[in-house]
Amino acid sequence: MYRTLRLCTGGGGFEAVPDPPRRLDLAHIRTSLEREGVSVVDARVMLIAALGSETTISRAGRVLIKTDDPKQADRVFQKLRPLLDDDAPTH
Amino acid sequence: MARGVMLVSGGIDSPVAMHYLLRQGHELVAVHMDNRPFTDDSPLSKVVDHLTLLRERYHQPLPLYVVPHGSTQITLMRETDRHVGCVLCRRFMWRSAERIAEREGATFLVTGEALGQVASQTLSNMRTATASVHLPIIRPLIGLDKHEIETVAKSIGTYEISTRPGVCCQAVPDKPATRSNLVQILKEEERIDVEQMIDDCVRKAVVL
Repeated sequence: MYRTLRLCTGGGGFEAVPDPPRRLDLAHIRTSLEREGVSVVDARVMLIAALGSETTISRAGRVLIKTDDPKQADRVFQKLRPLLDDDAPTH
Repeated sequence: MARGVMLVSGGIDSPVAMHYLLRQGHELVAVHMDNRPFTDDSPLSKVVDHLTLLRERYHQPLPLYVVPHGSTQITLMRETDRHVGCVLCRRFMWRSAERIAEREGATFLVTGEALGQVASQTLSNMRTATASVHLPIIRPLIGLDKHEIETVAKSIGTYEISTRPGVCCQAVPDKPATRSNLVQILKEEERIDVEQMIDDCVRKAVVL
């Protein structure tokens, strides 16, 4: 379960944090995104995906969407959400 | 007066450190490690605006090297222990700066580091990070606290630039080590081709 999107500390993007904490299967998320034609950089402990706005998905579950537009951030997050909720929480 | 290479981040500290050296008449070359995609465009745009202001104030050319650092970060994340990621990253930054210093005929390196503000700035980690270079490192802000640095930043006009919204570096590990030793760090660096990575990054640097 993810808490609502909020402005990140630096103010340059929006973040969502899972509650309770969870560990994501990034390999699975990467495969799913690439199947949809999304370009993904895999840094093992996080993915950076080109989802309209550049989005970081960390292994610890945190999602950061690089935009200052809250509506855009929400659109991107809703697109990503099925993949995050699909994942089995391990914490 | 001497010529030095300054690591600049876009944050509050680095332009203040530059100010202290520039007002003494030293020449500086700026080096910005470009962390995209682990941040957004804001650090680079802040650095550019800082330098524009300082160039005008001190009538110095202040060339800026923008060194691509994102691929280095990816390799570090994939291949090395995350807990010491900040120290490894700093070692890359220092060595890239030293290569550029050789190219520019600079005889010292400069940083806006203060002691203990973040994980990479504990004494232990600073010692391990700087063991990677040979040139002397000047830290003009080492004795100042955050409030003092911010006061100077406001007086020289860089504070407003530094505090513009932006995305913090996403490459920082969740639990960065606050202590490290050189044996441990060198062991991590054996997993990667450090020299080749530095060569690649410095070769791809853009000079503004």
